[in-house]
Order: sequence, then C-alpha cells, then structure tokens
Amino acid sequence: MLDRIEFLLTEAITAMRRNWLMSFAAISTLAVALFLLGGLGYVLIRMNAAAEDLSGRFEMRVWLRDGVSKQQISEIAADIRAIKGVKEARWVPRDIEWKRQIELTPEVAYFDNPFPDSFKVILADISLGPEVESKIKALPRVDAVEYLRAEQQFMEQLMNFLQWLATFVGGLLIVTSGILIYNAIRMNILARWREVRIMELVGASRSTIRIPFILEGMLQGLLGGFTASLLIFAAQQAVAEQLKAVLMTAALPRFPIELALVVLGGAGVVFGGFCSFLAVREPVRRRMGV
Amino acid sequence: MSAPLTQDNIVFDKVEVKYSEYVYALRGVSLTIARGEFVFLMGQTGTGKSTLLKLLTREVKPTSGRVLLWGREIGGLPERDVPALRREMGIVPQDFALLPRKRVYENVAYAMRAIGATRREVRRRVPEILERVHIGHRADAFPHQLSGGEQQRVAIGRALINNPPLLLADEPTGNLDPAHSWEIMEILMELNRRGTTVIVATHDQMVVERMSKRVVNMQGGLVVSDVTPSDVSAEAITQHVTAGWDDEEPAHEDHPILEPEPPEEFEGPIPLDEEDLEPEVPPHA
Ligand SMILES: Nc1ncnc2c1ncn2[C@@H]1O[C@H](COP(=O)(O)OP(=O)(O)O)[C@@H](O)[C@H]1O
Ligand SMILES: [Mg+2]
Repeated sequence: MLDRIEFLLTEAITAMRRNWLMSFAAISTLAVALFLLGGLGYVLIRMNAAAEDLSGRFEMRVWLRDGVSKQQISEIAADIRAIKGVKEARWVPRDIEWKRQIELTPEVAYFDNPFPDSFKVILADISLGPEVESKIKALPRVDAVEYLRAEQQFMEQLMNFLQWLATFVGGLLIVTSGILIYNAIRMNILARWREVRIMELVGASRSTIRIPFILEGMLQGLLGGFTASLLIFAAQQAVAEQLKAVLMTAALPRFPIELALVVLGGAGVVFGGFCSFLAVREPVRRRMGV
Repeated sequence: MSAPLTQDNIVFDKVEVKYSEYVYALRGVSLTIARGEFVFLMGQTGTGKSTLLKLLTREVKPTSGRVLLWGREIGGLPERDVPALRREMGIVPQDFALLPRKRVYENVAYAMRAIGATRREVRRRVPEILERVHIGHRADAFPHQLSGGEQQRVAIGRALINNPPLLLADEPTGNLDPAHSWEIMEILMELNRRGTTVIVATHDQMVVERMSKRVVNMQGGLVVSDVTPSDVSAEAITQHVTAGWDDEEPAHEDHPILEPEPPEEFEGPIPLDEEDLEPEVPPHA
C-alpha cells in the first residue's frame, strides 16, 4: 500500500518537475486568485466584526414630542420594539439626558432642561435603517429620528463593492488558473506519452495511469493555496505595521495563518484535483503501437 | 481448416477490420493458433500483420467476426477489462518503447511498478528477467548506449514481467543485422521451448526461412498460405540453423540460451562496432 502511494506520488512529482514552467504558471495564477479571494474574504470578515463592534454607533435616537406621559412612553416603546430590524429600544428620560449634557458642558446648568424624552434604538440589521426610520417617524408623538445614516450607508456600500470586486476578479482568476492547471496536466500527459504507452502495454490499471496526473493537479493546488496564505499573511503584516505607525494604536488582531493554510490549501487541493480530473478524463488519442 | 474453440487455442474467426470506409486492414481472416506454438505472420508491409496482433492486445476491435483468446471472446471486451487482458500477454512493440532517461534495469522495474509490484518483488525479479534475455551485464546502461539488438532484448524482458503465456512481437528484427536478428530469435525460441506461445509478425524472409516454424503468409488483409513444417524436429532445426546462421557466431550447444555467456565474448565476435552504437541502421535488404 505504502509502496503504491510512493510510486504514484513519485510519478506525480517527476511529472511536475519535468514541466516546471507550466506548473509554475498554474501555481502562481492560482495563488494570486486565492490571495484575492481569501484576502478580501478575510477583510470582509474583519469589517463585519468591526461593524458589529460599532453597532453601538449604529443606533437611532428617537425624540418624542414634549409632554408625553409615562403610559404613552411605554406604548411607544412597545410599538418601536415591534418593528422589524429593531434589536433594542431603551428609554432615555429627559432628566438623565440633561444631567449627561451638564456633565459634558457645566455652563449650561443655568438653563432649563430643553430635552424631551427620547429612545435609544439599536438596530439588529443596519441595512434596515431607512425602513425602521420611516416606520418610527410614522408613530404618533414622535418628533424626530436621528441616526448616522451616511456612515452606515458608506460602510455598507464599501462592503458591497469589496464583495463584488473579490467575486469578480477572484472568480476570473480562478477560472484562468483552472484553465492553466488543466493545460499543464494535458501537456504533461503528452510529454509523458512514452510512460503512458508503456503502462498501457504492460496492462497497468487505468487508475495507475491517471492518478499521478490527478495528484499532480492536487499538488499544484496545494502549493497555490499555501502561497496565497503566505501572501495574505504578508499583506496583513504590512497593513498592521502601517496602521501602528499612523494611528499609534494597538496592532490588528493576529492573522490566523494556520487556519488560512488549511482552508486555502484545502481549497487548492480540491480545485486542482477537479481541474486535473477533467484533464485526464479527456482521452488523448494516440496509437499504442504494438 | 475448422477452428476448435477450446481454451487451448487462439482463434480468429472470419475477422474483418476496417479502419475507415475504404481502408480494410483485414478482409476475413480465419486462423487457429494452439497453445505452445511458434508462429510467424509473414507478409509485405501493409498486409495486416500488426492489425492481427492488435486484435489480441485489443488495441483494435474487429469490425466483424470473432477473436477468441483461450476460448474467451475478446472482441467485445469492455474497455475497463483491457488492462487485465494485457497482463495475460507480453507485448514487444516494433520500436522497443524504452524510456530514454531510465537505465535498462529501471526500464523493466518501472513497468513492474506500474502493474503494482512492490520494491521487493522488483529487486528479486528484474535481475532474473534481465538474465533470461541476456542483458544482465548491461543493466546500468541507458538505452542509447545499447545496440538495436540489445534494446530489443530489453523490450522482450519488459514483456516478460507478467510471466505471460503468450508473447506477441511485431517486427522484432526489423532494424537488426542478421547476427542480432538471430540472437533475438534464439531468445524467442527459448521462451517458446519453455511453453510460451509466440507470435511474431515480420516481413524478414531470411529469418523466417531459417527458423523452420509455422508460417502464416498474408497478403492484402487475407491469409494466403499457412505452412507448418512437420518433418523436422525443432531441436534439429535449432542446431542446423545455429550452425549455418552466421559463421562469425561462436558455436552453440544444444541449448545455447541456457548457457551463460561472458559479456565480452558475447559481443566480441560481432565486428560491427559503429552499428552497435547506432540503433537507427536501416534494415538490411
Ligand atoms: N490506425 C490506422 N488507421 C487507418 N489505417 C490503418 C491504421 N493502422 C493500419 N492501417 C492500415 O491498415 C493496413 C494494414 O496495416 P498493418 O496491420 O499495420 O499492416 P502490417 O503490419 O502488415 O504492415 C494498412 O493499409 C495500413 O495503412
Ligand atoms: Mg506492421
């Protein structure tokens, strides 16, 4: 068994070394494709996490008209909580708001409290912001709704754009690298026609003939995935250095390099295996020549 | 000639092979070869000898008619069973098909590994196989360092890895001078003496005449004659042919193949050094 694996693997590596230029093209293109997809995927994950952290800021302030009663306030609270996309609605009594304001700017203490009662509304889903806003506005005794709409929309658009870019460019490169792997394997089948012919002559099983080529594709995929992981790691380190210098804040969270190696390496293996499987399935018509 | 369809025969039954609308390679060949026979398929180039062999290796399917190998119809064998079929025979291709970057030993070892032999089995069997085809002393040579005859012997050795009961050789003497041709024929005869059925396609009149074996003559995709010499015993012929083959060959004993020959002497008497190094010499007339 081990003997068998060794033979097949040796065949695959020999084939790849003999055709190293083609293998290099396939591996590097796949690496760039996975770098873009994996890297942007990582950025998106980080941005989502950041957006969640910022969810405190993605809150709405709902100002009520003057002179609403306790009874009415609890009714409004129930109404707001019933709106889809609202995670939480907390009553901020006008006295408390005033106290906070005085703490910030003690000079205003000589005036009367100008604040009405209000609600802090935290959204469950920031994309529903405008909808929630208009529904709350339609409630009776609501005076105004305030929220950081522009920032929310900017974040959202940026993330949508990045998502689009990642899918488009990464997808394009994935297709290209797939074609390159397919091509590399096809060329290797042609380059190794002597070996293939001898194996056919002596009655080697079809899998013995094909597996080395599929292994070769998987190996290319693995190397592409590993290279992509290291590229992303390097890029992340560079960005972290820059941020540290500019913002003087703590470093970004540690990049999960082990996870990246496993995920991207695994994706590469599956992808490379698939492309080379297609390549060996296509018969190479050639005469065995008794 | 009726064809007994027993498991002791190879039977071609009214076989036709059409490569395309107009190209007929075989036009209805019926032929029976018994287990243990030594048969020459003889004829000009293009008469269908290779096609006949390819029917047995299942590189070609019959357009009509039946091909039976030891009683089993192989014309309709599904593609996935072809590797197993090929492991039941030794195939010596016309062009040797050696791997140029592998040594003699590695060439045979590679083929063995490809059919699933372990490293141990390879270590045990390859030297033995190389001895059987008298090329053990050149185990470390690369194919381009060998004469045509030596390359042919390696190709025969590789065909023996499956211990096949049937050996198919296509023009094994095609590029060889008479002395080397004789070496190859000796090896094939020795295999035949040990029980292997041997089928040789050739257009080499001289080889065929001196061997005194069954000769199936082909012409235009048909068998035109089938002659089995019955009056002379194989041993007698061997001695006769050996003696008369080439005056420069050392005299052989009863079983020349069984006698290990020192490599230097073996190569020594053949005065064609340049040609030894050049396997591409055109076939003699
Ligand atoms: N793969 C092929 N495709 C088309 N025609 C072929 C093919 N192989 C052989 N032929 C033709 O079939 C005929 C018999 O060929 P072959 O069996 O190789 O003869 P031989 O071995 O006696 O020289 C020839 O006319 C040859 O041109
Ligand atoms: Mg031929």
